[in-house]
Amino acid sequence: MDISLPSPKPPPHLILIHSHKHLLHHHHQASMQNSSYHHHATTTMSITTSTSSSTNDEKKWAEKLLRECAKAISDKDSTKIHHFLWMLNELSSPYGDTDQKLASYFLQALFCKATDSGDRSFNTLISIAEKNHCFETARKVILKFQEVSPWTTFGHVASNCAILEALEGEAKLHIIDMSNTYCTQWPTLLEALATRNDDTPHLRLSVVVSARAGGAVIKEIGQRMEKFARLMGVPFEFQVVSGFTRLGELKKEDFSLREDEVVAINLIGALRRVNIDERSDFLRMIHQLKPKVVTVVEEEADFTSNKDVFVMCFEECLRFYGVFFEMLQESFGVSTSNERLMLERECSRSILSVLACEGDGGGGGGNGEYYYCERREKGRQWSERLRGVEFMPVNLSDDALDDVRALLKRYQGGWSLVTSTRNSTSSQGEDDDDDHGCFGVYLAWKDEAVVWASAWKPS
Amino acid sequence: MKRSFEMHGTLELIHPSEQWDCAPMSFKAARQYTGVDISDFMEHVARQLSENSENTADGFSMESLSNETFTPSNREYHPRKQARTYYNNSDIDGGNAEELQWINGTQSYDNMINMTKNKSGDHHHHHQNDQQGLSLITLLMECAVAISVDNLEEANKMLLELTQIASPYSASCAERVVAYFAKAMARRVMSSCLGGGTIMYSPLLQTKAILSAFQTFNTISPFIKFAHFTANQAILEAFHQRDRVHIIDLDIMQGLQWPALFHILATRPEGPPHVRMTAMGTSYEALEETGRQLSGFARRLGISFEFHPVGRKPGEVDPAMVQTRRGETIAVHWLQHSLYDAIGVNWKTMRLLEMIAPRVITLVEQEMPPHSGQFLERFVGALHYYSTIFDSLGATLGCEDVNRHKVEHWMLEREINNVLAVGGGEEEMFGGWRTELVRRGFAQVPMSGNSMTQAQLILNMFPAMHGYTIQQGDGTLRLGWKETGLYTASVWTSPRLMR
Repeated sequence: MDISLPSPKPPPHLILIHSHKHLLHHHHQASMQNSSYHHHATTTMSITTSTSSSTNDEKKWAEKLLRECAKAISDKDSTKIHHFLWMLNELSSPYGDTDQKLASYFLQALFCKATDSGDRSFNTLISIAEKNHCFETARKVILKFQEVSPWTTFGHVASNCAILEALEGEAKLHIIDMSNTYCTQWPTLLEALATRNDDTPHLRLSVVVSARAGGAVIKEIGQRMEKFARLMGVPFEFQVVSGFTRLGELKKEDFSLREDEVVAINLIGALRRVNIDERSDFLRMIHQLKPKVVTVVEEEADFTSNKDVFVMCFEECLRFYGVFFEMLQESFGVSTSNERLMLERECSRSILSVLACEGDGGGGGGNGEYYYCERREKGRQWSERLRGVEFMPVNLSDDALDDVRALLKRYQGGWSLVTSTRNSTSSQGEDDDDDHGCFGVYLAWKDEAVVWASAWKPS
Repeated sequence: MKRSFEMHGTLELIHPSEQWDCAPMSFKAARQYTGVDISDFMEHVARQLSENSENTADGFSMESLSNETFTPSNREYHPRKQARTYYNNSDIDGGNAEELQWINGTQSYDNMINMTKNKSGDHHHHHQNDQQGLSLITLLMECAVAISVDNLEEANKMLLELTQIASPYSASCAERVVAYFAKAMARRVMSSCLGGGTIMYSPLLQTKAILSAFQTFNTISPFIKFAHFTANQAILEAFHQRDRVHIIDLDIMQGLQWPALFHILATRPEGPPHVRMTAMGTSYEALEETGRQLSGFARRLGISFEFHPVGRKPGEVDPAMVQTRRGETIAVHWLQHSLYDAIGVNWKTMRLLEMIAPRVITLVEQEMPPHSGQFLERFVGALHYYSTIFDSLGATLGCEDVNRHKVEHWMLEREINNVLAVGGGEEEMFGGWRTELVRRGFAQVPMSGNSMTQAQLILNMFPAMHGYTIQQGDGTLRLGWKETGLYTASVWTSPRLMR
């Protein structure tokens, strides 16, 4: 793609002011003038298209434009910001190919960033999503996603293995589940409990849900779990832990621990939802629950250490979601999937939250509104935190690794398991040193680490 | 890019048995799509939706229907009474007539919603889909109203909702339409915020994809063939007993139209004429490829052929770029579409036509209000138009059909975008092609019976033929879906050459 921009000559009234209201006020004012208003703004841009077989250049136009736009925002270059937002607006579509989609969703975030309207837009998006949240749809989406991609099932298999091994022989199990996969993890575990040995243990499952996350949905889930457990012949108790607005608010007492039970804590996509400055305390609280094992699964991206450097955070965001969208494209195969669309829309909210919202993430202020923090950290970073509050890593057994490999075989090519501490981003000489390494295993897509799974116990 | 120059053996153009009659007929301006009564439109849309759901093939089970799309609580979507108070409170300069119309529309819409709610029980699951579709369209219309009065903040909120809920892969055609319209309107709102007035910009980054989608559209829908074959028939008649002819195609795309004409020219009793072709298009490379293909084809048929590519949009063509020669008979073909931004096309093209003074102009245009009108009028016209096309596609292709999606995304989404985009910057009102041609002294030539026959034959090729309709009127031929005309073909001649 060959884009030629003329020397930028901004029309006099075009001032990108960092205030959404002001921008609209400005426009409104201008449109009150006579209809010849529209004639003032003539910025001529032409694109010469290279219609030869699509080169790599043409394929990655979205990343280039987005990057330029982010830089312009960081430099506060109003003219350039206008140019790039405008071009992205023209070229993007959430219903097209991967480039068009990335352009579309990132454009929304960049526009909100440039006009300081991130929090407001995010709140609107969240309330729309919550209004339309229903069990059947959510279930369809996650099941379809699990059918075409091991993105979530990888963590499930690794965690279940770690939990079963740690709680071997125990009679009363209490699993505290903070995850984002609608309990799709547990049927397999229940089945394993039922078939392993003669004495089926009693399982209590406490599921942590935020206040706003839809009571109806979790109720439905609970009923199904109870039914399934009955079918499996596993003595089962289902509990919901709710009534808080931030994960950081949770306390030991909220879990009503009992004397005779053994605790396992399952954190899938949970730690990133804790406000950054509350993470250490949160982990300390987890420690206080005296778990026999803590399983942690997180997506491999870092939106935390760079949160104050916009361009760096943007780059990381673009990298991660670029991979995710491509993965979705290849995993789903067809372009016309509603489930994929919903996953993409979910991503768009995350992107908006990370790039355009104040503080740790979108959501209300301290008025008791639920915070939607989405600041991911990489496995190495989480490992540091966990070790810092006196957790030590538990290696996944060979059997567990075999199970994971078997899982990956069931999916289309491109997926692999990475076990050494050396992942694609770490440099050569680091891996043997326990103190600097990280732990757990990685799911890699086309040799890029995307999901991290690990197990821990109090040291 | 695979080129398929299908020879429609069954669609031989019909040799004119008579001299081409170019006595002009008095042209009664075709009924323009003016400020529509919104309640009638909504009724029409509702009727179409209910008919469409009755025709939906592969019987959806009740469960899958209620589950497959997002199901907002229906309470939320009843037309909000606030719509009226909002209007009363806003400062509109002299928008009173529109205001009243809208309010009347909302009232009768209320009645209609009640009517649809009382539909019989066995269509309950279709009814649910209806409700969803209707609700979304209502919200979309409210949003359009907000945009038309520059209440961008309100519009933005509604658009956030619409773009999160509507899916372009839904089984409901209405929902698909809403998904694309909402996105187009969101783009417009954003470009307004960015102060984008008339930014002359043709982002044809993906020419190949668009051409490919156009080709697919030609396969799954009869409209393009209708345009091609009715036009070819008229051109053939105009070329009767002429031995030097010059065809000017204002947007040739891949030139799918011309092989059929070449074939019949080659088999004329008096032998083929010498054919010159001047072809416009935005991608020079694509033009060259088209030229190569057509040249080869002509050569195989024994037609002496010249090809002149002009890498411009019709609105950017300087008359000097088109060489005419003495003694040649000129035909100009114009299949109007909205794939490019609508700026500046009309006047320049008109001037070009006046300068060239062709013997025949074959015009096929989309039945939509011109770009220079009011936004709301344009919006309603476009919604009507594209809903109909989406319906026609949905009647034969499943909701997950990849070709359908390709056409809807690469072609229709692009057109909707351009149609709804901010201002054309036209100084004067462009009243629609046919009106303007009359204004400038061109004379209409009624479409012959042969053209009508061509049109019928084309329709016979398409499975959902009972849905497509041909209307004759005012010397034009109109192809549409059910009651809505979509493409109108007409033939014109320059008054200066009546020989």
